[in-house]
Amino acid sequence: MNKDEGKNNRHEAGKATFIEWTPPAAGQPREVELVMMAPPVRRLVALITGSSQGLGRALAERLLSEGWTVHGFARGPQDLTHAAFTAHAVDVTDEAAVRSAVGSVAEAGRIDLLVNNAGAASMNALLLTPGSVAEQLMRVNYLGTFHCLQAVGKVMVRQRAGRIINLTTVAVPLSLEGEAAYVASKAAVEALTQVAAKELASSGVVVTAVGFGPVDTKLTRAVPKAALAKINAAIGRPEGTTMAQAVDFLLAHSRSALAGKVEYLGHVL
Amino acid sequence: MLNREQALALVLRRLAALGRELGKPDLEQADASTRLFGENAALDSIGLVTLIADLEEDIRVATGKTVTLADEKAMSRLTSPFRRVDLLAEYVVEVTK
Repeated sequence: MNKDEGKNNRHEAGKATFIEWTPPAAGQPREVELVMMAPPVRRLVALITGSSQGLGRALAERLLSEGWTVHGFARGPQDLTHAAFTAHAVDVTDEAAVRSAVGSVAEAGRIDLLVNNAGAASMNALLLTPGSVAEQLMRVNYLGTFHCLQAVGKVMVRQRAGRIINLTTVAVPLSLEGEAAYVASKAAVEALTQVAAKELASSGVVVTAVGFGPVDTKLTRAVPKAALAKINAAIGRPEGTTMAQAVDFLLAHSRSALAGKVEYLGHVL
Repeated sequence: MLNREQALALVLRRLAALGRELGKPDLEQADASTRLFGENAALDSIGLVTLIADLEEDIRVATGKTVTLADEKAMSRLTSPFRRVDLLAEYVVEVTK
């Protein structure tokens, strides 16, 4: 009898163990072994834009702690160090750079989740907002999301699976005064989300959006407290939103939101 | 770089695979003259998008080149390269040069 026949031969594939059964030759006694077999587990892969700080960074850290592989896109340096984290220096407004970086991620395997988090904000009265600011917000918030959605969307269509979450803001449904250019750029993201959801659903790709009020970050600490309190009160969150709450909400959204859903943390009509 | 025969084979192979996946056996019998979109075409708009996404990966695997088939150059042509299988194959040859 061949030494491999009639035995369960264990193989190690990364951390997963799988067992191969080789039948015994005719007339040979069978060895019977009962084993507990763990299915091979593939690490899920996320791509997060704007991962150098704030929500993007906090989300990357959470996913890494849950066993994901994470690729982070940011314009500047990223100091997050983890064996399963890869930093990519990418400006999301640069279509060619986005395509190239997404291509390198896809060559290494699948992309299960894209979070279009990179964004910019500006508060100013409409009549005092320079056109250049409005243009820049549209470039970063809308076009950046568009480029990443398009490049990763193609990868996910090929996979026939994937989830894309675009970041929006409660400022859209609140039609917040003093943020016209920002609100318009995020409204464009919401519209893009809903059309993309329809176009990609039949390929197994779910596109949704999630929005927050002011999340406690370095950025919002520079905003006058009265302004933050007004927004937080309007969405029924007088205590505001911590980073951990935002990450929890985003992950819960990622597990349950149906295609095209635009969901906000807070009471927004 | 791919020649015309190789590009045609690539497109037809991908169409056949898509036909099996979508339950459209006609796609497995496609040839150079098969219309890809428009009236009486083999694919709907979603099917065409899927074909293009899949083909871009097939081209990368076959040639090592990352190409974008549906770019402004393709979209602005008087005769769309996505109209028929032979036109698409010729376009694949062009973008992989």
